[in-house]
Amino acid sequence: MEEQDYILFEDYLSGNLDENATNAFETRLETDKAFKQSFSIYKDISAHLDHEIGNEEKTMDFRANLDSISHNYFSKLNAQQEEVNVKKSSGFYKFAIAASVVLLLGFFVFNQFSGDPSYSDFANYDQISLTVRGDNDALLKEAETAFNTKNYEEAELLFNQILEEDSSNTEIQLYKSITLIETNQFSEAYELLKGISEGNSIYKNKAMWYLALSKLKQGNFEACKNILKSIPKDAKDYKQAQKLLNKLD
Amino acid sequence: MSNKKVHEDQKYIDGLVNNNSFIIQTIYDKFVPKVINYVKQNSGDEEYAQDVVQDTIITIYNQAIQKNLQLTCPFDAYFFLLCKRKWLNTLKKINNKEVTINEEVLSKDDDAAQFVFETSIFENKQNLFNQMFDQLGKACKDLLNATFKIKSMEEVAASLNVSYAYARKKKSLCIGQLTKMVQESPTFNQLNY
Repeated sequence: MEEQDYILFEDYLSGNLDENATNAFETRLETDKAFKQSFSIYKDISAHLDHEIGNEEKTMDFRANLDSISHNYFSKLNAQQEEVNVKKSSGFYKFAIAASVVLLLGFFVFNQFSGDPSYSDFANYDQISLTVRGDNDALLKEAETAFNTKNYEEAELLFNQILEEDSSNTEIQLYKSITLIETNQFSEAYELLKGISEGNSIYKNKAMWYLALSKLKQGNFEACKNILKSIPKDAKDYKQAQKLLNKLD
Repeated sequence: MSNKKVHEDQKYIDGLVNNNSFIIQTIYDKFVPKVINYVKQNSGDEEYAQDVVQDTIITIYNQAIQKNLQLTCPFDAYFFLLCKRKWLNTLKKINNKEVTINEEVLSKDDDAAQFVFETSIFENKQNLFNQMFDQLGKACKDLLNATFKIKSMEEVAASLNVSYAYARKKKSLCIGQLTKMVQESPTFNQLNY
């Protein structure tokens, strides 16, 4: 299409053509296929931009509302499932039967599949160092110590404080996600890690690896495998990922 | 399909457009459990299901606003097929291999399949438009952002310090440029133009 055609499209869409020109335009739409196609695309793009840019705030409100309803729905679902699990095992006999079944099963499973990998085999978190020499940030120091001494609950609280000041700090987000996995807060860990793994920071691949470990800890081997497969070859944890994959297969 | 009767489940579409919390909650209570089951039975988990559902609802919302979506089939079938399709595509990306999507999703036998098809095309268009917009030069981006935010071309011209005639012309040429980029993109033939 020529420049002139696009100007014509705009005039037609905004109703700036007189009757004759409008008729001529519509006749051309019927007879000129290329003209019609370009016009359809032009019109769709206009509608798209009008919505994306013009309704930006409205859409953001909608997303926020949807996000909170979705979050509530899925947290309730998790809570219900836990309750069901507790109810199932109440009652002494039920418990005794269940316990012996578990024992028996455990015995067989242990004998047959003792190679099933466990989270603790792979979750070897290095010591972290957040403070530079001469840096007197007490909060960072405290968080570092809590994390390195495996006091994850306290570390989480301290990371939260740091993130309040500096919410886009990906490194802290990453460490926070480890504390969440360690304290079994899987859905929060998932949200955080997913964000990092989809971003462009240097922690991207690390986040995928932790995401896989989180699935492993939850016993969701399929999801774990799927994530492991998407860890690229140049990632630092690629070898570990392959090792875990082999054990899971 | 315009001559068909609009289904009573159009209330769900309207509820999304109006950001009606009660309707959104109802969609979760009534239709989401089936999706969770499906995702779980097909190598996923609840967290994946949560994303699939959310993305699908946002797509429906966008299409409903831009294209004035009028449902002539039950929301249940439409929504489930869309989620299913999205999950299979996600799996394909994760595993980096082909997943065959059952014929039932693609067949155009009934209204639901037809709606799913149109929504998928709509979604592909959205993605490509966004991608091309990102590649646009800064001058065009600024002008289009201003145009669609402010709406009055006089004010746009004033805010960018250019003449009214120039702003109008530039707007058509920028969208024209986007049109061309879309046509030349390798995925253009998937858009059904």
